[in-house]
Amino acid sequence: MAEERRFRSACGAPIALRRRQHSASCRELAVRGPRLQLRSLSAATSAVWLAAYGLFALSENSVVLSAAIFISLIGLIIYLHFIKIDQESLLVIGSLGIQVTSSYASGKESTTFIEMGQVKDVVINEAIHMQKVIYYLCILLQDPEDPQGVSEVVPLFQSSKPRLDCLIEVYKSCQEILEQRKTAPQSS
Amino acid sequence: ENSPAPLPERAIYGFALFLGSWFGFILYLIWAYIPETWLFSLGLTYWPQKYWAVALPVYLLVAVGIGYILLFGINMMSTAPLNSTHTITDNYAKKQQQKTFQEEAIPALRDIPISEVNRMFFLPEK
Repeated sequence: MAEERRFRSACGAPIALRRRQHSASCRELAVRGPRLQLRSLSAATSAVWLAAYGLFALSENSVVLSAAIFISLIGLIIYLHFIKIDQESLLVIGSLGIQVTSSYASGKESTTFIEMGQVKDVVINEAIHMQKVIYYLCILLQDPEDPQGVSEVVPLFQSSKPRLDCLIEVYKSCQEILEQRKTAPQSS
Repeated sequence: ENSPAPLPERAIYGFALFLGSWFGFILYLIWAYIPETWLFSLGLTYWPQKYWAVALPVYLLVAVGIGYILLFGINMMSTAPLNSTHTITDNYAKKQQQKTFQEEAIPALRDIPISEVNRMFFLPEK
C-alpha cells in the first residue's frame, strides 16, 4: 500500500512524500526532492564558460578555455555525486530498528541503521539554522546509563528539509510503530 | 542608594568629561593641522608622527565595520548545531527534581521532556 503527497520544503521547493506500509510493524517513508533542472544546469555552465571566454579575451591564453571545460565537467560530477540528494527515506521496522537512506543524483546511496534498543524516540524539534527557525525530525538515542537521558540527536531529512505539515505526517507514522514496542515488550 | 537620578557629583563628573573631551579634540586638531615647523618653533617637539592623525580614525572605522561582521560570525558559531543535545535539554533541566503532585494546586514549574511536548502537539487525542 503506497501513497504519495506533495508538500513544500523549508525554502519553498516542491517535495513529495511517499508512504508505504510493508506490514503491520514496518513502514517506509521517502521524501523526494526536485530533480536537477536543465535550465539551472545550462545557466551555470554558460556563466562559467562566458567568464572563461572573458578571461581568454583579456589574457589570450587558450589554457583558460580548456580549464573552464574541465572545471565545469568535474564540478558537475562532484555536485551529482556528493551534494545533490534526490531522495531521503526512512524505514521503520518495529522490533528491529530504523534505517535512514540518502540517494544521491549519481545513484550513490548512503545508509545508516540504528537498532531499536538505542532509539529513545522520534520527535519534531525546532532549532535555529542559518538565521531561520526550522522544524526538523530527529531520532533521540538512548543514553545507556540514564534511562531519561538523551545521548545523541540524529537529524533526519537534512537536505530536503520538509515543512511542518509533512513532518507531522512522518511523525504520526513513526509513532504508530514506536508505540507498539511499549505494548509488547518481549525482549530486554 | 543606586538610583539613576541626577546628583551633584554626577553633574561635576559630566562637566569634567565635557571639558576634557573638548580639550582633547582641540589638541587633536592642533596636532593634525599645524605644520611641524611652527610647533617646533614653540618648543613642542615630542609629538607622534602626523601619519597617525589619519591612520587612527581609519583604524577605528574599519574596526567598527569589522565588528558588525565579527559579531554576526560569533553569533553563528555559538548557535548549537542541529545534531546537538543542547537543542533539547540543558544542565538545569537534567538536574531538576520531581515535585510531588498536590491536588487542587497549580502544578510546579518544570521543564517538560520533548517527547511529551510532541505527543501533546502533534498526536490528536481521540
